[in-house]
Amino acid sequence: MNDFSELENELRKLRPARPSPILFERVEEAMVDHRARLSQRRTLSWFTEAPHKAALGFGLAAAAVLLLLARISMEQRGTTAKTGAPVSSVMATRPTSANEFIAAGATQIVYNSRDEGLHFADGSEQPVRRLRYRTHQTWQWRNPTTGASFRVSYPSEEVVLIPVSGQ
Amino acid sequence: MENIASHEDWKSCFSEVAPGLLLFARQWVQSAADAEDIVQEAFVKFWRRNYKIDNRPLLYAAVRSIALDVIRRDKRRARREASVFAEAEPAIDPQFEFEDEAQSALAAAVDSLPHDQREVLVLKIWNELTFSEIASALDISQNTAASRYRYALASLRKSLQPQ
Repeated sequence: MNDFSELENELRKLRPARPSPILFERVEEAMVDHRARLSQRRTLSWFTEAPHKAALGFGLAAAAVLLLLARISMEQRGTTAKTGAPVSSVMATRPTSANEFIAAGATQIVYNSRDEGLHFADGSEQPVRRLRYRTHQTWQWRNPTTGASFRVSYPSEEVVLIPVSGQ
Repeated sequence: MENIASHEDWKSCFSEVAPGLLLFARQWVQSAADAEDIVQEAFVKFWRRNYKIDNRPLLYAAVRSIALDVIRRDKRRARREASVFAEAEPAIDPQFEFEDEAQSALAAAVDSLPHDQREVLVLKIWNELTFSEIASALDISQNTAASRYRYALASLRKSLQPQ
């Protein structure tokens, strides 16, 4: 038997102080803010999750296309030489090395950087500072035998997330 | 997976639990404003992860954890500001709404309970948690929660008896 039941009833009659109406508004603001961040994060996920992969993928694809074009062009030149002009002995000894291109340089010029402030990425509670860099990248290959070279240039955008520690 | 439909449910859940949560938070902080800050932070964090309040001990544990963080932070701040506020009295907002003198005396008696008994009493009476849930929220055994509750009631009865 509970001999404190009367006291418990008295205690239950005592009503806790009510929260201020502002508290509800503040919680609502925090909820709305959270939802906004969630939807913003979804739209930005492509940039935040794989900016480096996207830039690298685009660059490699462009380089591959140009390498292919260069190879076709060289093969056509070789065919023309065979059919049109006499092939010198020097040229005849270089069919493999003539197709060899080695990397000769790479430059990355940052022409615009922007601090986009604090954001919450990947459901994390820790804020990160988002920096967006717009760059122009150039890759260059050279054939040491023939002296031929080609260059691939393309614009790229990089988003860097830097964790921000509290206080 | 995020449950979009439950986004609006927080209002009814919060209306239901807010007074009890605030009272619970007040066990650590003097002012109602500080308690509201704690409750807001705890509830929003909790709702973002759970979208329902079926795990109530976790919600109360979140309030307790944030309140303890606030105390630690305030101690550091208090040390820095000690010279400025040396003579100022801390504002103490009432934790209950009184209807008469008897209720005022009862509230004062609750206030004078040892902290460990008072937090169990607050969770049991005004938040309607079971001893099992209280034990989970406070990280104590169920028996400890039950005995603290009984000690609290015994102390209250003693202090309310006419001298």
